[in-house]
Amino acid sequence: MTVSTQDSTPRRRFGGGFKLKLFAYALVAPVVLLILGLVAYPFFFAIWVSFTDMVIGSTGNFIGFKNFEYLAGTATFWAAIRNTIVIVLVSDVLKLVIGLGLALLVHQNLPGRGIFRSFLMLPWAMPAFVAFLTWRVLYQPIGGGINLILNQTGLYAGTVDWLGTRTTAMASVIIASVWRGFPFWFISILAALQSVPKELYEAAIVDGANTWQRFWNVTIPSILPVIIVTTLLSSIWTANGFEHVWLLTAGGPSDATMVFPVLAYFGMQTQRIGEAAAVSVYMLPVLAILVIFATSLMMRREE
Amino acid sequence: MTKSFDTQKPAGWSRRRVLKTAASGLALAAASSFPMPALAQGKKLTYWGGLIFSDDANKLLTDTINAWGAANGVATEVVMINQNETTQKVSAAVSSNTMPDALDMGLGLARLLARQSQFSDVGDLYKKIGDAQGGWFAGPDTASDLTADGGIARVGIPFGVNGNLLLRRKDLLEPAGFTEAPKTWDELVTQAEAINKAPVSGLGLALSNVGDANLQVAVLQSFGGRIADDAGKKVTIDSPETRLWLTWLKNAWDKGLFSPGNTTWDGAGDNQAYLSGQAGFIANTGSVGIAARKDDPELFESSAFSPLPGGPKGIISPIDVQLRAITKASPVQDEAKALLEHLSSPEFMNAYFNVAIYGPVLTNQEKLQAFDGTNTILVGLLGLAKNGTAPAYPDVNNAAFADFGSNFLIPKLAQRVVVDGWDFDKAIAEAQTQGQAIYDKY
Repeated sequence: MTVSTQDSTPRRRFGGGFKLKLFAYALVAPVVLLILGLVAYPFFFAIWVSFTDMVIGSTGNFIGFKNFEYLAGTATFWAAIRNTIVIVLVSDVLKLVIGLGLALLVHQNLPGRGIFRSFLMLPWAMPAFVAFLTWRVLYQPIGGGINLILNQTGLYAGTVDWLGTRTTAMASVIIASVWRGFPFWFISILAALQSVPKELYEAAIVDGANTWQRFWNVTIPSILPVIIVTTLLSSIWTANGFEHVWLLTAGGPSDATMVFPVLAYFGMQTQRIGEAAAVSVYMLPVLAILVIFATSLMMRREE
Repeated sequence: MTKSFDTQKPAGWSRRRVLKTAASGLALAAASSFPMPALAQGKKLTYWGGLIFSDDANKLLTDTINAWGAANGVATEVVMINQNETTQKVSAAVSSNTMPDALDMGLGLARLLARQSQFSDVGDLYKKIGDAQGGWFAGPDTASDLTADGGIARVGIPFGVNGNLLLRRKDLLEPAGFTEAPKTWDELVTQAEAINKAPVSGLGLALSNVGDANLQVAVLQSFGGRIADDAGKKVTIDSPETRLWLTWLKNAWDKGLFSPGNTTWDGAGDNQAYLSGQAGFIANTGSVGIAARKDDPELFESSAFSPLPGGPKGIISPIDVQLRAITKASPVQDEAKALLEHLSSPEFMNAYFNVAIYGPVLTNQEKLQAFDGTNTILVGLLGLAKNGTAPAYPDVNNAAFADFGSNFLIPKLAQRVVVDGWDFDKAIAEAQTQGQAIYDKY
């Protein structure tokens, strides 16, 4: 009887645990399959394609690193690297300054700040293609809003080809990109500001800290994690961003505003799928580092 | 104790039942991915038409196909695809095996897909239509022979010729003493200079990374330049003739004749510049004329069409041929052929030419009312059908040339000189290297 009990108990425990595990796996299996199908397969397929000479309608042949070598041998590729870095860095700095400044302003007890806050979100709420086509119209050399303002106010009598000259094209793209993207920074930083405990400020005042010292020693350290995560997310989106460059300049004039996503699109447009995939794969390591860093920071904050 | 445990279970849902249900769901999902038996479906024909700059033409094509379907017991679905997006849509469709039964396309895409054996052989239908309508014009006949690309000569039925015409503002040019169209590129610059006064720019020619800017390939060739040698293998951009063309271009640029913004124009840039009265000359397929005739009759009356000017080596005015093809995988081959034959009928084509922007492909079409001389755009397109040069001529029209054009290397060469201020040697060296890298892939 005793033996029987000793024999049956572990077996039942093992069997029950195994069934429970199986049941758990069965429950998560559809989600895992979905993720594999929608994320992992396209991801690894794109990497595979980048090593082939695939064009429309053919599976392509394995050609090793030829696509990568070809790209690295073109001036446009290096221009895309340079421009992507410039757009990401300059946009992030400007968005940070504008977003932080406006968040600090709206965080004050000002009359009508609710309306002002909603108003500031408008660029973010507007569809990207509408926003950038509007900017394109504003930048038109003849009849464009910006030149009209310059001419009417007497600030400048000539015609500036904002998007058509190398000296102004990149700045014009960045301004439009910052205009569309700063509300995300603004709302993220504002949310962080609202979560800073008042006691910290009160303690700092008791310690004799002036406004600047409170901002530098209380506000900034409190919202820094949010700023870092926002910077990482914004960098990923800007580096991956397509509409702002495509709709404004399509990478031109010459390659003055060429960025990776547009370069990849040219590859797709010209049916050279292998080459287009290689452009994306070139971006992968940098973006992967940013994604992993941002994800780990966000998870740490949640904990 | 056991009873107590049982009462805690959700009523009616045991673990086993959940697993069974999940398994059944997966099995059903897997089963539903298999095609249903054909006999359960009626005959349906999907057609992808090329959306052009004429609503009337797009509607006429759609209505005609649907009416044909209704009369012949075939359910039809017509999807009009923006011609700038045909390549992307077709790429996705080929990859996902969702190609339509028949579609419109240009020669470049047809050549590429013919190499992948995507189309049915329509040689018999091509001959039948040609025999019934006086034969095909030599240009479209030669250009649409794709034997070298997949082994089948006729994978599509030509239905229209297009290419660039020169469109000019005669209301500005005639007071300046220019009553005739410019015959050479140098004359073009002279005339453009005479009317180049803000807000009008003399030359509304794109120099950006779009297909319109590949007009400069034809200009380069008319100056004697070539993209590659006669074998179509070795790139020959680095030549005195290329420098001659660049000299002409730089001279016009330095005079401020080009429309501002033309180095970043999209495909509609020249259209918008002309239609807004900001360009004296543009090279266009005729779509601008159609739009002007409809929306700005005064501008249309003030405009004139002529062939492209020539260079020291003559006129290079390449034609493109629009084709209607049937996909090999289509289950309605006979119906699709019947539709293509119907769409080649003189009645439909006369109506279509009247509202579209294509020149004729069959010799009898010259006698159609559409080409009686009253429509100046169609007169220009008829001239193009008869006298236009073969695609790529004098270069070899191979896949490398198409890839070269898709990379906009000649517009980029122009941009290096006029935007970046590179000297000719440096800019040419870059184009030569990049061009050879493209040709080496084939």
